[in-house]
Amino acid sequence: MTIHQLDLLQPTTLEEASALYLEHEGDASFIAGGTALLIYLRERFYQPGYLIDLKTIRGLDYLRHEPGVGLRIGALVTHWTMERSPLVRQHVPVLAETYREVGNVRVRHAATVGGNLAHGDYRLDPPAPLIALRARARLVRQGGARELPLEDFFLDIYTTALEPGEIVAEVIVPDPPPGTGAVYLKYQSLSAMDWPCLGVAAALTPGPDGSVDDLRVVLTSVASRPVLLRGVNELVRGQRLTDRLIGEVQALVDEQIDPTDDIRGSAWYKREMARLFVGRAIRAAQARAQAPRG
Amino acid sequence: MAIDLEYSVIGKRVPRLDGLKKVTGRPIYTGDIELPGMLHAVLVRSPHPHARIVRVDKHRAERVPGVVAVVSGTDILNTPGVVDPWVGPVFKDQGILALDKARHIGDPVAAVVAESREAAEEARELVEVEYEPLPAVFDPVEACKPGAPLVHEVLRPSRAFADMAHVAEAGGTNICYHQKVRKGDVDAAFARADYIFEDIFTSPPAQHAPLEPHVTLAYIDEDDRITLWTATQSPSFVRVSTAGIFGVPLNRVRVIVPYLGAGYGSKLYAKLEPIAAYLAYITRRPVRIMLSRSEEFHIITKHQVVARYKLGVTKHGDIVAVEAENWWNTGAYAEIGPRVVHKSGYTSAGPYKFPNVKIDAYCVYTNNVPAGAFRGFGVPQVVWAYESMMDTAAHALGIDPLEFRLRHALDEGDEFATGTPMVSIGVKASLRKVAEAIGYTPPRPQRVPPGSGRVRGKAVACGVKAVLTPSISSAVVQMNADGSVTVLSSTVEMGQGSETALAQIAAEELGVPITKVRVHLPDTDVTPYDTITAGSRSTYHMGNAIRGAAKQIRDQLLAAAAEVLEANPADLVLRDERIYVRGAEERGLTIPQVFAAKLGALGTTLVGEHVFKTIADPLDHETGQSKKATEFWFSGATAAEVEVDTDTGQVQVLKFVAAADVGREVNPHHCEQQIAGAAILTLGLTFFEWMNVEQGQVTNASLLEYQLPSLKDVPPQLESVSVAVPHPDGPFGAKGVGESGTLSVQPTIANAIYNACGVRIRDLPITPEKVLRALHERARAHGAEVAPPAARQPAAVENAGATEVPE
Repeated sequence: MTIHQLDLLQPTTLEEASALYLEHEGDASFIAGGTALLIYLRERFYQPGYLIDLKTIRGLDYLRHEPGVGLRIGALVTHWTMERSPLVRQHVPVLAETYREVGNVRVRHAATVGGNLAHGDYRLDPPAPLIALRARARLVRQGGARELPLEDFFLDIYTTALEPGEIVAEVIVPDPPPGTGAVYLKYQSLSAMDWPCLGVAAALTPGPDGSVDDLRVVLTSVASRPVLLRGVNELVRGQRLTDRLIGEVQALVDEQIDPTDDIRGSAWYKREMARLFVGRAIRAAQARAQAPRG
Repeated sequence: MAIDLEYSVIGKRVPRLDGLKKVTGRPIYTGDIELPGMLHAVLVRSPHPHARIVRVDKHRAERVPGVVAVVSGTDILNTPGVVDPWVGPVFKDQGILALDKARHIGDPVAAVVAESREAAEEARELVEVEYEPLPAVFDPVEACKPGAPLVHEVLRPSRAFADMAHVAEAGGTNICYHQKVRKGDVDAAFARADYIFEDIFTSPPAQHAPLEPHVTLAYIDEDDRITLWTATQSPSFVRVSTAGIFGVPLNRVRVIVPYLGAGYGSKLYAKLEPIAAYLAYITRRPVRIMLSRSEEFHIITKHQVVARYKLGVTKHGDIVAVEAENWWNTGAYAEIGPRVVHKSGYTSAGPYKFPNVKIDAYCVYTNNVPAGAFRGFGVPQVVWAYESMMDTAAHALGIDPLEFRLRHALDEGDEFATGTPMVSIGVKASLRKVAEAIGYTPPRPQRVPPGSGRVRGKAVACGVKAVLTPSISSAVVQMNADGSVTVLSSTVEMGQGSETALAQIAAEELGVPITKVRVHLPDTDVTPYDTITAGSRSTYHMGNAIRGAAKQIRDQLLAAAAEVLEANPADLVLRDERIYVRGAEERGLTIPQVFAAKLGALGTTLVGEHVFKTIADPLDHETGQSKKATEFWFSGATAAEVEVDTDTGQVQVLKFVAAADVGREVNPHHCEQQIAGAAILTLGLTFFEWMNVEQGQVTNASLLEYQLPSLKDVPPQLESVSVAVPHPDGPFGAKGVGESGTLSVQPTIANAIYNACGVRIRDLPITPEKVLRALHERARAHGAEVAPPAARQPAAVENAGATEVPE
């Protein structure tokens, strides 16, 4: 399949990119890694007159750790870099593990951290651990910038909080409190390279004596956007995790998700699996967590 | 025949001749070829499953810059020079484009040809087709009922192949073919059976998904000859079919097939060639047409099958009767469906000694995408059913399923369900080999409730397929004065390794190293007739043709050498490019010396030609009985150890073993790869690969949604085993191996799941959800009780004499 005629615009700054978008609003799309967008263009689901190439903007592919701030990830950092970076593995190993689970190696070399979020697909893996770890996005547009917690970034299927002309410029992952254990469990009910049936991330920070100080659980693929499970800390904070308590957390799942039937499972099956994998993820996070010393 | 253990190249692990060049990207494939002035064509496809075409408005599309022509079915009917716009290997039921009705979603109703693919695609959106929707039918069982919408009003046999010579003109029904087998008296046998087991098993449609899509480049040359470079597995058929459309002699059509980027049965018979030839014919310019990936899902599929099986068994564990009634969903055009149903139909009872057999297999038109050949040619769908039944019956009777199979399996000389005596059948040996390799012990299935963690089980299954008979392979072999050899064969190299295997056969017969043999790719101007490259037939058939042709050269060389050496030709040995007297190796000549003695000039050639033709005793139309149903049988057996996660229903294959009776390994490495590749492909079809079709609409027609196995899906332990039961008439004893590894994979997995957790899955694919649901349903039906398994509820007790196996 061929792509329709379009103009490729190559700005050199975020400001310029945003201005170009606003100039052609309604007929333009940003493109970074292009792993999702190019499929839509080739299938002619979507035919914008202009593509604004963010890859020509220099200095957006940094990855560094700042004490007191956390991991700062430029929007053009690729999944492959996230997977391989010693910095990521040292500070937030769950992110290295999660980015490694995305697509295949060819996709991971092209796909970017910022593009992945801006795409807003409800089945994407990275948003789950990022939200569980309280990551924020820095959003830039002509004449301004703001920070937004990623838990508020996703609104609906392929719909994010990005305003027209706004671009994900950076993702900031604050250092998890000491001893925090975090996991992402991707469950694929069909082939090993497929989209997930669902995914669950859990980040557990232990308190003294093996109790739970903080637990955040995020599910993907079971609603029109990633679901940060509400009411968890009200149940578990200050408590030691027991099977009964985990069961109570699992019982929160049903009301907060809205899965649909597809080839990866019926809504019934996804609900069963959501409860199951929430339990598995909490136990796995607990196994990784280390109670504070002394 | 005596097996000569001193072969120089047969049985050796020769590296693939096409390996290095393919992985370094050097070969030119069909889609790489461009000609000056080449045009690009795309197809306009029906959005309706069944509709009369009222009108095609081309005007807006024709005005797109670069568009050369827009054509509809009506234009084809009105084109002088097109003498027959209907094509099809069994029935001429498919127009070059839809000529009267659209019969499935995606049926091509118009074509656009333009200077660029971009222009053609843009114009395609502007072709306006007015349809009158008609009632449609999608289910093969429903389509057989009186009053079902008729997909075709009349059927005209095309008489292209001898094995399908018996199909009849028909009309007024969607059943385009009915294969019957009647052996013994099943009704009487069921009446005296102690137990009767009856069940329905289903297989979904699937896509072949070759790496290279369908692609054809058509060109009308300066002599008005039609040349087609095309991705096909059947160049000889394409030539006949194209000549038929235009009513021209066979020598005015030339079909050239570069290396094929895989076929799996999808690239047989007439696909894009008729429309490409037509568009080149009317534009007088080269025309390329290549399908997109989503279009691949709308050209040909694997048959969906609904299979009802009934087994009658005595309390001593003897199977006295088997009855099968199978509905094959062949979609909107018969394509090769009748042959699929014929060949799978008569093997539907399996590789067993059954005294009483009744089989009815129906090939049924529906308004779905057409179904045709798919690696295994329908046999995996029936093996799925009968090997699941065999385990069900064995467990209910408390007999080890392996023992149960070995007890009933066919031996040399035993009669098949068709009454045909078995020759070169390795089913028992294959079963024993895989059982040993998996560490088989008689299973003790437990009723495991859902949520009880991971449980393991092992199982086996086997199957048999018969090679297409009658069929024909012709070869020409030419030896040059330096001892180098050119093989002219229409066998398509599609990744199966035919180039290497056929070169090995020529090299062995002519006593030259394989590096001196060149196998020409198909070009009907040069390479002689071959029925098809499919159905595991090429090693045997083309191998025999090449060996026969090579033998003629060999005989000439030996005769010439005998004169010089003053020896009897029978005492001479041809090996390592020399001819010498047996026992006196120093008395000899090199091949060039023999050529010099015989012909005396540089660069001379000797040529041999051989037509290898098999014959069958046609199956009796009413009983399916035949003294010789097939030229050879090939059986396979598989074993698996699986782990079932009873929390999710997910199944992991820990170890998989596949065995095939290959006759003799021409190349052991190739055999292992073929068997393993077939197993991996079929494991994908077992667990997650299927076309999801709703009211004729394929809902997962892209590789984003359609699942293919990747290396990550391959079991951690995967073993191929070749079982050598040399065929008396095979080249050096060889048979075919391309499909054997597919046959019994699916029931092996289902049986292993049953042995692990006591649930039986009857509908493919085996998704985690189906397993989990079955665990839940069983737990609800039986509580948490753990008891030995019994015949399924209800284990259809149809006659008063039979009793259900007690719980």
